[in-house]
Amino acid sequence: MFDEPIRRRANFSLTPLIDVVFQLLIFFLLTTTFSHSQMLTVSTPAPSQSELPQDANVVEIWLMGDGSTRVAEKPVTSEHLGEAVKQALGGRKDMTVSILAETGSRTQAFVAAVEAARLAGATNVATARVDKFAP
Amino acid sequence: MIDFEEPRRRPPYETMVPLINVVFLLLIFFLLAGTMEPSAPVDVNLPAGQISDKNARLPAEIYIEKDGFIWLDKNMVPPELSGLLVRDYLQKQGTDRVAIKADRDAPAEFLLVLMEGLRQAGVKQVTLETSQAQ
Repeated sequence: MFDEPIRRRANFSLTPLIDVVFQLLIFFLLTTTFSHSQMLTVSTPAPSQSELPQDANVVEIWLMGDGSTRVAEKPVTSEHLGEAVKQALGGRKDMTVSILAETGSRTQAFVAAVEAARLAGATNVATARVDKFAP
Repeated sequence: MIDFEEPRRRPPYETMVPLINVVFLLLIFFLLAGTMEPSAPVDVNLPAGQISDKNARLPAEIYIEKDGFIWLDKNMVPPELSGLLVRDYLQKQGTDRVAIKADRDAPAEFLLVLMEGLRQAGVKQVTLETSQAQ
C-alpha cells in the first residue's frame, strides 16, 4: 500500500466574497438613517376658542400670523419664550396654558410654544386656532 | 545574455485580509448603528424640539406638507376634508394612536384642523414628531 500524497489546500478565491461584502456595505451606507426623531405628545384641541377655559388660571400664548409670539398679550422673541411663559405662570403648578394659533402661523412656532409651556411646568396645555386676533 | 522578465508573482491572499477586516467592521457598524425607516410618501422637514416623550413607533402616521396638504397613507387630502377622512382612515387601521409628521413651515391652522378631526374621531392625544434641536 502506498500513502496517498498529502493534498494542498485549494486556494479559494476571495474576490466573490469581497464583492458581496462591498455590495452589502454600500446598501447599508445608502439606506440607513441616523436621525432620531423625538415625540411630543399634545392633547387634541377644542373645536373653538370659546370652549377653552377662561378663568384666572389661564396664560395665553398667541401665535401671530406674521410669525411673532405674544405671551399674555406682550410680544416676546422666540429665544425668550420659555422665560416669559415661566414668568407668566409664576411657579404655580395648577395653571393652564392656552396656545392660540392665528391663520398664517407656522408649525415650528406651535411646537416651540407647546414645549415652552410644558417646560415651564403647566399641567394643562390647550390649543385652538383663531382667524384673526382683535387688534 | 538576454534578460528575460521574471514572471510576476501573484500577491499572496494575506494582503487582502486587513481590507476585508475593515470592510466587515464598517458593515457591522452600519448594521448596528443605523436604523431603516419605511419610505415616507413626502419629504418633510420636522420642526426642532427639545422634549422627547417616548420613542415607540406609532401604528398610524399622518404627514403634513409645507403647503398644508395632508397625507393619509399614500393619499393626499385637502386640509378642510381631513377631519372626516381621518376618522375613516383610523377606523380602517383599527387604532387611535397617531403620530403626526408636520413640516416646520406648514401652516399651524392645518395641523390644528387635523387635530380637531382626530378629536372628533375619538383621539385624545396625538404625538408630534420633532427633530433634535441643535
